[in-house]
Amino acid sequence: MSRTIHLLCGATCRTGLRKFALLLAAAAALCAQDFDWRLRPRFAPPSVPADNPMSAEKVELGRRLFYDSRLSGNGTQSCATCHRQELAFTDGLAHAVGSTGQLHPRSSMSLVNIAYAPALTWADPNLSDLAPQALAPMFGTDPVELGLKGMEQTLLARLRKEPIYQSLFPRVFPQSADPFTVENVTKALAAFERSIISTRSPYDRYRYDGVEDAISAAAKRGEKLFFSGEKAGCFQCHGGWNFSGPVRFAGGPAVEAEFHNTGLRAFYKAPNNGIERHTGRPSDNGRFKAPTLRNIVLTAPYMHDGSILTLEGVLDHYASGGKAIPNKSPAMRSHKLTPQQRADLIEFLKTLTDVELLRDPRWSDPWKAQR
Amino acid sequence: MKQPLRLNAEDLSKMPRASVDTRFDGVAVHYEGVWLTEVLKKAGVPSGVELRGKWLTGYLLMEAEDGYQVIFTLADLDPMFGGNPVLLADAANGKALSGAEGPFRLVAPRDRRGARSVRMLKKIEIVLLRK
Ligand code: HEC
Ligand code: HEC
Repeated sequence: MSRTIHLLCGATCRTGLRKFALLLAAAAALCAQDFDWRLRPRFAPPSVPADNPMSAEKVELGRRLFYDSRLSGNGTQSCATCHRQELAFTDGLAHAVGSTGQLHPRSSMSLVNIAYAPALTWADPNLSDLAPQALAPMFGTDPVELGLKGMEQTLLARLRKEPIYQSLFPRVFPQSADPFTVENVTKALAAFERSIISTRSPYDRYRYDGVEDAISAAAKRGEKLFFSGEKAGCFQCHGGWNFSGPVRFAGGPAVEAEFHNTGLRAFYKAPNNGIERHTGRPSDNGRFKAPTLRNIVLTAPYMHDGSILTLEGVLDHYASGGKAIPNKSPAMRSHKLTPQQRADLIEFLKTLTDVELLRDPRWSDPWKAQR
Repeated sequence: MKQPLRLNAEDLSKMPRASVDTRFDGVAVHYEGVWLTEVLKKAGVPSGVELRGKWLTGYLLMEAEDGYQVIFTLADLDPMFGGNPVLLADAANGKALSGAEGPFRLVAPRDRRGARSVRMLKKIEIVLLRK
């Protein structure tokens, strides 16, 4: 212990020890080589599970896997089939379609800023780590998405044959005797998903850089409606910088995910009954996560079941206050917006689109150049 | 209160300045403005040992541009009682507050939830409840 302290004060080191100290320093620099999130100033990085630290190479491996159709049983789909970069990582469908053609009961979701989410998917309070989440699309049967159930060894054999993976897997997972494992696949996917961070919309430039003309006067009026507790009240559920409610970040408090019933249905039937599906509590019927509204103009159709086609339709739903049901959130209140106010609110929502995200090479298909 | 006290950005700039650093949602913001207790002093509201009798039944009704309202009691804010520091902010990260944040807002760093950190603050009404 005393030696370590001694080594740290370089000036007093004896020569014999100095070399060792330099070596140690180099090793420490390597370990501390923090992943470059390229965050905007004053924004905290997301929290990362201790058993799956970030590295540039792991993200690269994850990106390869994310876009690799060898990850589906019949070779027709990858994660990117339902999470397309040009649509802010959604699929443009009301209901996602799996590799065998089976319809998913719910709509695909954006993966933007997913690293900050306290809960994953539309309505699962117990799922917050991205690595285990990836098992559901890969191996799930209800519904079948990538359709890999029972094909673990086939999948790993396919991956082993790829020269790029032969070099990447051992480098990213040097501790594993055999780095080709399903767990490592999900860890790399999770690292890639965590890296998808977007805070470069016109609204961010207006709000965080103070660029007054980054958004229009109409959008500024819309912003006031969005954040008004008396009018639209959207921020009460889609609050914070991610417009998704509470977020988790490195060094931050352990926030709980929030789920709300917006009165979209008079009765929510399983499997689309919200978190009741997991908690079994009837009072949780119809309670869903408020997804991020970033890039929302690109992610139609809307809601967990894709039942609303346009943002105008979404505003109608909120203005109506939703169906009169006991579970409905008290934040849902009917209100009237003038045509001008509706247009302003939509102008505001349009300012949340980050066009750089849609073509950022960090998150694009790495196999394309080779195909 | 007989006379309403009107404060604009310039008046606030001349009062004793204070700041609060927040990290809501992991975004660091440096708010600048004036402690509410300074504003109350200017309005002639007693504080400390003078805060007694009917004043202990007093509260502040905060109203935003859109009609949103919340209250803080006088004793809650006073350093000799609750000592809850609440900032009347007019700037964030060196820039005047704008849009849905401004031109004035409250920042209540001790509240765990943000609902009393009223944005677009328009009016502070002092109400004494004692019958
Ligand atoms: C067949 C289409 C499809 C495929 C393929 C697919 N997903 Fe999804 N994804 C969805 C749907 C639908 C949801 C919503 C699921 C729910 O609520 O149950 C979703 C949700 C998610 C979420 C949660 C997002 C949020 O905002 O909470 C993550 C993370 C995710 N998918 C990652 C992946 C990964 C990683 C892969 C590849 C291993 C993948 N997905 C493959 C359709 C798909
Ligand atoms: C009571 C909380 C609450 C309020 C208030 C609220 N939302 Fe939502 N929002 C949600 C929830 C929960 C969902 C998902 C609901 C579902 O799928 O059944 C959602 C979904 C959405 C969607 C669809 C997202 C997607 O990816 O499909 C949009 C768009 C949206 N809200 C916009 C708004 C706007 C605009 C306002 C203000 C007029 C608003 N919300 C007010 C909770 C809320």
